[in-house]
Amino acid sequence: MFEFKSCINIIKSTGKKAHTLQELREHLTTISDESIYHHVYEYFLKGHRLLFTNDFAQWVGDNLEDSVLSERLSNIDPYAFSTVSELRQEIINTIDNHLKESPLPREARPGEEFYFNESVTIIYPVGIRVRNLAEFLIAIQHIDRGCIYYHFYEARTRLGNTMDDFSMWIEYALHKKELADKIRAIDPFMHDIEGIRHRITNLVKEEVTKDMETV
Amino acid sequence: MLNEYVGIAPKGDLILIKRLCEKLRGRDFLHINSTRAGGGVAEILQRMIPLLQELGINARWEVIEGDKRFFDITKKIHNALQGFTEVLTEEMWEYYFYVNKENSSKIELGADAVFIHDPQPAPLVKFRPSKRRGIWFWRCHIDLSNPQKEICDRLMEYYNEYDASVFSVSNFAIGEKSLEFIIPPSIDPLSDKNVELTEKEIEDILSPYNIPLDRPMILQVSRFDRFKDPIGVIKAYRNVKKYNDCILVLAGSPATDDPEGEVVLNEVKEFAADDPDIFILMLPPFSDKVINALQRAATIVLQKSIKEGFGLTVSEAMWKGKPVIGGAVGGIPLQIIHRVTGFLVHSIEGAAFRIRQFLNSPEMIKRMGEAGREHVRENFLITRQIRDYLSLWYYMETGMKSVFEV
Repeated sequence: MFEFKSCINIIKSTGKKAHTLQELREHLTTISDESIYHHVYEYFLKGHRLLFTNDFAQWVGDNLEDSVLSERLSNIDPYAFSTVSELRQEIINTIDNHLKESPLPREARPGEEFYFNESVTIIYPVGIRVRNLAEFLIAIQHIDRGCIYYHFYEARTRLGNTMDDFSMWIEYALHKKELADKIRAIDPFMHDIEGIRHRITNLVKEEVTKDMETV
Repeated sequence: MLNEYVGIAPKGDLILIKRLCEKLRGRDFLHINSTRAGGGVAEILQRMIPLLQELGINARWEVIEGDKRFFDITKKIHNALQGFTEVLTEEMWEYYFYVNKENSSKIELGADAVFIHDPQPAPLVKFRPSKRRGIWFWRCHIDLSNPQKEICDRLMEYYNEYDASVFSVSNFAIGEKSLEFIIPPSIDPLSDKNVELTEKEIEDILSPYNIPLDRPMILQVSRFDRFKDPIGVIKAYRNVKKYNDCILVLAGSPATDDPEGEVVLNEVKEFAADDPDIFILMLPPFSDKVINALQRAATIVLQKSIKEGFGLTVSEAMWKGKPVIGGAVGGIPLQIIHRVTGFLVHSIEGAAFRIRQFLNSPEMIKRMGEAGREHVRENFLITRQIRDYLSLWYYMETGMKSVFEV
């Protein structure tokens, strides 16, 4: 049985803000792990642009107009780190290396500063349980985006093994490793949540069709 | 009432509201502001209070009473918090406190969660009942990013008494308190301003204004206020007009608390000269259906502000599937995802360029309009705001864990 859950965030201000890249870097050394987690991992819960993969990259690209650093920050894979401290260090190193070889970007305009926030996450079941792949296929097409975020993105940090809930269930409860591997091969950074829904739907549909045709 | 939002709001929000109401059933939830009608706060409370009551919460909405002198003082406080220079004498501060003290004896302040909206009733926190310590939130809807320091410092004596505060956007927050939360405002999809209208209804509502509905319409709905840059909008329209047929509609209501409104309106009329394709509409207060029809009839909606509060007209237009071009100020960047649901602009030239892009690409209008509507559905409907208020209350009551399940 797979029970769908969803989650929401309530944003909590830290009161810290940055006008310049140097200020951003300074705050990154002291800001809470929760804040870094929010600005990187929870980026996918927002309506976001595929050009960026975290809030730091988006601010540097949009508001400081430093596209090179923005690309470098976007290319950091947060799931490659087992702790937020390691991720924090990688972000700081990326900024430091960039500053060694590039001129300082401009300051943010007034009102466009970077605000460091944290979040409170509330998880709740959405009342949908499925027992097999055919039921899963119907559910995945109708659940809210928060559900897909919770099981596909949030699971990677919650489970600590960079895997998502969907592929785990498909592999261990339904014994369909091949399908699970295909879901794991979806690049989480190159799609928005609707894109993820679309890809999982297509993969599961293929599998269900195959199962039905098997004699 | 919650059922009226089924099929409109995200299902998850409705489920979470129900679950939280089950957990908080029978508890007292008090909201206090300074007006029963007019303004976004009253609009939301009118809908939210009965909805919560129906779900088993003892929700109450109280309004403080004050005379003209009191509201003149609170208007000055409001302006000063938004960065204007105001002088408040000691006598004024005392009167501000005195009126709140008078109100505290008329309003039952005992409740499990209390939301005090904006600065007018802020001193009520001094009278929170000692026997029944509910959680007190100061819910500030205005921009405190650049306040007049001495006025803000003075309000700190009240602000510091609250358990937590809630602001609409990160850059509106004071940043002085450990518990400051960010909860954006919202629109009600079922209100007169946002409810679905048929083509016929739109035509009927707009017929008195003689606006040609068969030509591309650029619309800005806002008060006639320099911060909304109506002259800049006309300049952008003139730039566009060189190669693109369109009409411009500037629609606003008179603001009784804004003596400059008429001056700006006259400037705008003079600047528009006698261009027959510019329609300047001074609508009476509560013209919600007309605004709804205008937003639905528009091809592109502008909110070219140079200073803005949250700017909910952006969400209103996006909810109607319209692409929006907005100034990158206040709460507008939270609503417009640049190049996804519309464009953020920093100049008149930028606004003109983006209007031209839209007018030459109906596909882009459709794509961004649809993305905008979905963005509003997910983030700026009243159900999301109710969900967030209940979640915050529950979080504060249950040990303030950063991750929890209900």
